[in-house]
Amino acid sequence: MTEGVTKQYPKNVGRPPALDGVSLSIRPGGIYGLIGPNGAGKTTIIRICSTQLLPTAGTVTILGHDAIADPRSVRTRIAVIPQESRPLYFLNVDELVYLYLKMRGMDRAESRRRTNAVLEELGLVEERKRLVSRLSGGMRRRAMVAMVLASDAEVLFLDEPTTGLDPLARREVWGAIRRTIRDHRTVILTTHYLDEAEQLASRIALLDRGKVLLEGTADDLRARVRRPYRVTVDSRVPRTELERYGDVTDVDGGHLVFTRESDARELALKALGAGARVSMGPVSLEDVFLQVVGRPIDDGTTGEEAA
Amino acid sequence: MTERHRLRSVLTLAYLNGIVPMRTQPLFLVSVLASPLSFLFFVTIASHGLYLKYAVTGGMLFTMLSIGTSLQTDLTHYRTDLKLQDMVVASPVEGPVYVTGLALSELLYSLPGLAVFAALWATGGPALGATGTYAWPVNLPNALTIGFTLVIVWGFASALGFTLATYFEDVREIFLFSSLISLGLTVFPPVYYPLSALPAWAQTIAYFSPTTYAAQLLHATTSAAATPVGSLAADWGVLIAFTVGLLFLAAAKARWREP
Repeated sequence: MTEGVTKQYPKNVGRPPALDGVSLSIRPGGIYGLIGPNGAGKTTIIRICSTQLLPTAGTVTILGHDAIADPRSVRTRIAVIPQESRPLYFLNVDELVYLYLKMRGMDRAESRRRTNAVLEELGLVEERKRLVSRLSGGMRRRAMVAMVLASDAEVLFLDEPTTGLDPLARREVWGAIRRTIRDHRTVILTTHYLDEAEQLASRIALLDRGKVLLEGTADDLRARVRRPYRVTVDSRVPRTELERYGDVTDVDGGHLVFTRESDARELALKALGAGARVSMGPVSLEDVFLQVVGRPIDDGTTGEEAA
Repeated sequence: MTERHRLRSVLTLAYLNGIVPMRTQPLFLVSVLASPLSFLFFVTIASHGLYLKYAVTGGMLFTMLSIGTSLQTDLTHYRTDLKLQDMVVASPVEGPVYVTGLALSELLYSLPGLAVFAALWATGGPALGATGTYAWPVNLPNALTIGFTLVIVWGFASALGFTLATYFEDVREIFLFSSLISLGLTVFPPVYYPLSALPAWAQTIAYFSPTTYAAQLLHATTSAAATPVGSLAADWGVLIAFTVGLLFLAAAKARWREP
């Protein structure tokens, strides 16, 4: 899908590029997650693939069409929810979806049929006549997902669709996104919530500073780190005794140890023997990120700043 | 996209940005009328009714020129705040279709205001005639002249709004700038009063504003003296040249996909 895509914004000449030779191969169908901190290049790659932005170098092919040379052929088959986008506040939910479909060129009968179906499917029937401005944040996002879901687009780009939402609202939006892939569409989703990527995406690319660091299923990513197990031990076990098992990080009331599977068992048994509280399991994507990038995903710095 | 699809997109955009807000918040219509009616009121009072004949068509011109500011505001707001333009770019809708749809929506939104001034024009002439004061002729040729002039002004205002929108990244900047635009296009040029009311040096400057030519065409329909045909042709020519020039500038500045 993308081959060696590089983007150097004209205003940032002399600084590291926003994207540096990104190559991704995304099979049609399913949800593909792009994860990384702010400034990693997620939005830039989405904007290039959805024909909003030209790359400095590289090729992009969407469903067999060259997205750089022939954007019109691509645009009939895609839809996007941009990062921090908001719906037109003076429309009601029904109009938002229906008029979006008509604006894309769909006829009245088909737009009506699809609008009714998607509002039913996403549980928005009771809200259909409510003004978008009077909806909660989660409902607004669901309404926006309904717009692209109702379209005839085969590839949907969702750029951080749940940023700023509370956990309940995020789950509502997740449910809506899951429904998009029922009819074999492809969803390309960016997020800096790693649990979101883990919950939704069948394959994930981890980006940082404009480069793809890891790519695969969530299990692939976990398997590719040096220490794929995490053990948390409370402070009754001194840190010095833990260091021989792996990388130790201090956490609230204890220590977190990244280690190998065999060492994890041994460490857990030893800690239990010392009367400590222990929990153990495979690393999360957040742990993968920490091990690969060397800092937490939400440490407040952007990829660019960290560079 | 076929021509039928393009037309459907244009009409949908015009409906959603022109008709729906009118229905949702009818008070906006009153605010659209507030400025042009205020000017009409003050100019008429200050001139003891002498300039009413200019101010009626001037109100129509002011209303049409406001389309430029509204389009500029909407385009910038939809691009930078709502990210609607990004959604549209990544869809079958083409740039000219999007801009035409929004420009048409602004026209629809202005129609109630124009209707008020059209009613004043249609009834004001005969009513003044009945009182023995000067009445402007209400006839089909004058109505057509007003209609054609306003259509050209719509094109000019839309092209201006679109061009300016490409320079702004924040709607607040537009609010600061729009009063200057209004001063240069509707207050200083002879929109609500005759060109002859300005001193000679100011008349020369006024000719740099395209609205002067539009106002001359409109004022000719309510003027007692016949305007020379050559002068009207020159007004048409300059107004159309300004509009075409701005449309070219807008097309050259437009960036549907960012570089």
